[in-house]
Amino acid sequence: MSFDTNNTWVYKISGRNIHLYQYLYSATTDVLAGYSIRIPDAYFGDQLVYPDESITGGLRFEGTAFIEPFVNYDPNELTVGNANPTLTDQSSPDEDDHVNLSRMLCLAVVDYLRSRVAEANGNLDLKEYYMKEFWKKVGDNHSNKIQTGMSYTSTTYAVK
Amino acid sequence: MTILEIMERAGIKETNLAIAYIKDAMHLIQSQGDDALATWKVNIVDGTRDYPFPANLIKLKSISVKDTNDDKWKKIKRLLSDPTVTEDNSP
Repeated sequence: MSFDTNNTWVYKISGRNIHLYQYLYSATTDVLAGYSIRIPDAYFGDQLVYPDESITGGLRFEGTAFIEPFVNYDPNELTVGNANPTLTDQSSPDEDDHVNLSRMLCLAVVDYLRSRVAEANGNLDLKEYYMKEFWKKVGDNHSNKIQTGMSYTSTTYAVK
Repeated sequence: MTILEIMERAGIKETNLAIAYIKDAMHLIQSQGDDALATWKVNIVDGTRDYPFPANLIKLKSISVKDTNDDKWKKIKRLLSDPTVTEDNSP
């Protein structure tokens, strides 16, 4: 039975895999007649060992992914009753399908496409300009959800 | 915003090319931020150390292991140094 997994499990990234270890502060043990016993002459101390139990659905990854990139309905418009729209993934998108991004990110995507067109035309200055606009809008979209406060100390005779 | 609207604003006439560019842009957005998060759950197997990343993962945010004692997944830490044992034939 796993417990305190935030303290007793660690991982290491190895290419496309992770290496999963359990951290132990004990000696190697074995089960004999239902009792966990310490193996004679086993090293006692800090150890990283392979997982010593099977856990169904025990390893959870969280990250970004392509999730329904194209949908059948505008994701930025509420339905009647102010509910979020029910979106259906469009596996073979056409021109009438919606991009599943906020409006700000859609505008950023427009800048990205403009930059690729400028690059194809050999206009690298224009390409750089549109990429700058692209990242600016991506940053704006991110900061739209975050409220931060900044405070400054002022000197005694500062103009206020 | 529809694909057609994006194409018209950007001045692109080829639909397939526009869709490919839109996917590229979305990939960049997902690489830098966390606009659309997903979770994947994998079985932990006794004695198995290696677990592949989910194939469609773009940017890793966290890895958790289930605490069967209280039925919660808890974030685990990343090792900063290599373990001394590189492979264990009898874990």
